[in-house]
Amino acid sequence: MAKPQPPLKSPNGLLHGALDALILKTLSRGPKHGYAIARFIEETAGDALLIEDGSLYPALYRLERKAWVEAEWGTSELGRRAKLYRLTAAGREQLASEMATWKKFSSGVAKVFAT
Amino acid sequence: MKRSLRSWLWRVPLDQEFDEEIELHIEMRTRELVAGGMDPRSARAEAIRRMGDVAAFKRACVDLGKKRDREIRMTLWLEELRDDVRFAFRQLRTAPAFTLVATLTLALGIGANSAIFALVDATLLRPLPYPNPERLVTIWEKSTGTAKGFASPPNMLDWGARTRTFEKIAGFTPSVGQMVVAKPDGSAETMSRQWVTAGIFDVLGVPPIAGRTFTADDEQQRRRVIVFSEGLWESRFNRNPNIIGHEVKLDGELWTVVGVVPKDFEILGNTSMWAMRPFVNMPPRARAAYILQVVGRMKPGVAIDAARSDLEAVATGLSREFPDFNTARGVTLEPMHDTMVGSDLKTTSMLFLGVVGFVLLICCANVANLLLARATARTRELAVRSALGAGRRRIVRQLLTESVVLALIGGAMGIGVGAAILRIAPVFIPDGLLPGTVTLQFDMRVVAFCAIAAFVVGVLFGIAPAWQATSFSSPEVIGADSRTTTGGGGRMRSLLVVGEVATAVLLLFGAGLLLRTLMAVEAFDRGFKAQSVLSMLVDPLGSSYPTPEKLQGFFDQVEAEVRAVPGVQDVAWSSGVPLGDSLFGDYPQSYEIVGDPPVDEARKPRADYQVVSSTYFSTLDLAIVAGRGFDERDRRGSPRVAIVNEAFAKTLGGRDPIGMQVSFKPADSTSAKPTTVEIVGVAKQVKRRPDEPKDFVQMYSPLSQDLSDDMIILVRSQTGRASALTPSVRAAIAKIDRDQTVGVASVTTLEDVEWQATGRHRFRAVMVAAFAGLALLLAMVGVFGILAYSVQQRMRDFGVRRALGASSGDVIRLVAGNAIRVIAAGAVIGLVAAALTGRLIVSMLFGVQPLDFWTFALVTLVISVTAVASIAGPAWRAVRIDPAAVLRSK
Repeated sequence: MAKPQPPLKSPNGLLHGALDALILKTLSRGPKHGYAIARFIEETAGDALLIEDGSLYPALYRLERKAWVEAEWGTSELGRRAKLYRLTAAGREQLASEMATWKKFSSGVAKVFAT
Repeated sequence: MKRSLRSWLWRVPLDQEFDEEIELHIEMRTRELVAGGMDPRSARAEAIRRMGDVAAFKRACVDLGKKRDREIRMTLWLEELRDDVRFAFRQLRTAPAFTLVATLTLALGIGANSAIFALVDATLLRPLPYPNPERLVTIWEKSTGTAKGFASPPNMLDWGARTRTFEKIAGFTPSVGQMVVAKPDGSAETMSRQWVTAGIFDVLGVPPIAGRTFTADDEQQRRRVIVFSEGLWESRFNRNPNIIGHEVKLDGELWTVVGVVPKDFEILGNTSMWAMRPFVNMPPRARAAYILQVVGRMKPGVAIDAARSDLEAVATGLSREFPDFNTARGVTLEPMHDTMVGSDLKTTSMLFLGVVGFVLLICCANVANLLLARATARTRELAVRSALGAGRRRIVRQLLTESVVLALIGGAMGIGVGAAILRIAPVFIPDGLLPGTVTLQFDMRVVAFCAIAAFVVGVLFGIAPAWQATSFSSPEVIGADSRTTTGGGGRMRSLLVVGEVATAVLLLFGAGLLLRTLMAVEAFDRGFKAQSVLSMLVDPLGSSYPTPEKLQGFFDQVEAEVRAVPGVQDVAWSSGVPLGDSLFGDYPQSYEIVGDPPVDEARKPRADYQVVSSTYFSTLDLAIVAGRGFDERDRRGSPRVAIVNEAFAKTLGGRDPIGMQVSFKPADSTSAKPTTVEIVGVAKQVKRRPDEPKDFVQMYSPLSQDLSDDMIILVRSQTGRASALTPSVRAAIAKIDRDQTVGVASVTTLEDVEWQATGRHRFRAVMVAAFAGLALLLAMVGVFGILAYSVQQRMRDFGVRRALGASSGDVIRLVAGNAIRVIAAGAVIGLVAAALTGRLIVSMLFGVQPLDFWTFALVTLVISVTAVASIAGPAWRAVRIDPAAVLRSK
């Protein structure tokens, strides 16, 4: 699994890992399709995290390959067939561990900045 | 579980899946932007812009998706495999008797195959253990008599000096002789040694592990130098480096140990040391001494064809320069690996490989039969599984997994069987069949062979039963009474047994032919008695005997001294022994009868030439059938005489050979002067090789009239144990030559020579007979199996018949009838196959034709007897059925 990831564009240099974590967090509130995930991140983070819409999908496929999310066909608000992503148990664990790591990291950074 | 279902349920192609997702995304974004006040057209453009480089994302996603699907399928597959294997083990545990018989059968088959594979691998498959072995070539001297003769030292040196395609050329004596090693305490022992020329280690690319190897300087200075093998260095000198430079007394002379070479070098000859024989300032007649096996290292990038034409040109030049010796003499080149392996070993290996392959097939058939019987019993189970939704593929796979698991267990046990065979095999392998110290070892290659063989075998014997077991219609089977489900499996089982019997008969037939060959070889009247005759090569070294008189004196004195040893009955000298090597090598004489019309040199008859002392015939108990033997009249200077053998006499067309004058000279020599001798006697025919197809023509000359300095002394013991005389005979020889300049070598008894000469026939016959016996046993187990099973299945039928008045005879006929049909069909097919394929082993036969009547008769007898044995049990069981009990039971 330690293969180099395909090059992805993320305008503000958002790390793959961070995007993955954001997706997992988003899905922790229930299954969503791609556009809904993008909207949720936009609305919560405001303009702080600008990502290209398309870059979301490789991240979703990557997460599915790792079995942290799974996909199923559902129906969108438009009444069309939509691919819905759902967090798996493994994904939930991964999210918890990433959030813990992030907390430690950010509080460390905050402490250094506070000096 | 859901995840593993994905790849099966999700039927949308990956790129379509992605496109659909993206389209939905763009549409929803557009709607959002329109809702925010944008006009639809620019809203859609903006939505697309915000997607970014869709093509790149699509590539990434399709790639990730493909990998994901592959992984899912793999996991699914592994999970199923794990379940299947677990289930297979559970199934095998529920039928321990079946499992035991099947795995043991497979272990025998795979074990035998792995042992033979080890033989083939060690000899045919592996390259020689030298650097760049593909550049090593054996160079034989070709004459009209043989394409692969040994070379004379001057010719070898000239080849080396004139070639443009070889880096270096060197030689060695093919036979390993003995040297007497004087020990510090005054006693002596013999050790094997091989003569080599100075460059041999350079040609083969063997670096010394201590000291150095021989140099051109050693040869120029005629130093007595010797190189030890690693084995000797280790066992005798504890790897002490101080041995280098030391002198050891060998054959009464001091030799300097210059170095030690690694074990790999022993491939040339199974020996513990190599002594350098210098070839400088040789007399012209040395060009006719064909004693060396020559090996050359080609320059890098030279093809053997180029080397061949190069050396052929060199040989043509030598023929012109030395017409006396080299007329009609050329060269034959072959890769050294071919020389080392030899065609005899190759054919033997292929024979064994074929035989054990057949044995394995029979094992497969037997296990397949067991599986078929079990599958019949399991029909209901499988039908239920099928009804519950398992597809045919899935059930076939499950059954195949079971058979592969079974085969792998058998293969693991087969590794043990193979290792055991290899442990005891060396006892049966005749000397000289394997080149040098090629040892049979059980290594990872053999284990890998076992694993692969087991897997293939598992699929092979599993596929038919699996297919058979799944060809049913489930409602029918589930509803039916289990006793009625004996159906179609029966025919396939019978066919398998027919095949087994046919194969066993084929192998038996081959074994029969080889055994008849062995008997023919051993029982053949060789014209002499080999029992209790000791043979030693006596080589009066150095220049102590410069004149023929002195040499003759030496031979006479030794003979007298040895004759005086207690227990010695007779003593003789000879240049060769029947069935053994001749000291003259391949050196035929062409001859003509004086007074007959002259014949062209090329069309003159040829005879083997042997020099013997007058007591030779009495020592070997070799009869003089006409005329007289040699006696004291035949001295040096008296008219030359000869004794010819029966084959020689037969060429005379009924004329009496006694008194005839024969003129002979070395064949192929244009300038050698012919010698004229008078035939005084005819000796009984002896065999030069145990499986000679044609009697060979031979002339004996008395030692006194043609002295040569290397002779074999033959000592017949009174008591029978010839080898017990060795020390006293050696002591007697040492008494004559106090300076110990007598090299006594090649101590052996003629019985050993004889045993060795017949060794490969014995080896082949014993091995093939053992495997054929195994095959027969397995085939009969197969017959027994189907019979016992069918009796079991037809209990009720027999019971009813008995109740209705059928006699024991009727029941036996019923049981045996089918079995006899199966065996007879197998036997006929096997015999026809044997008749068709017998020609393939004709090169290994002697004294017996491939269509030998007695072998046919014997095989038929054996198969009939064993058939009766295998039928008896089930038939007895059927006869003893108690009709009342059976009918009551259900």
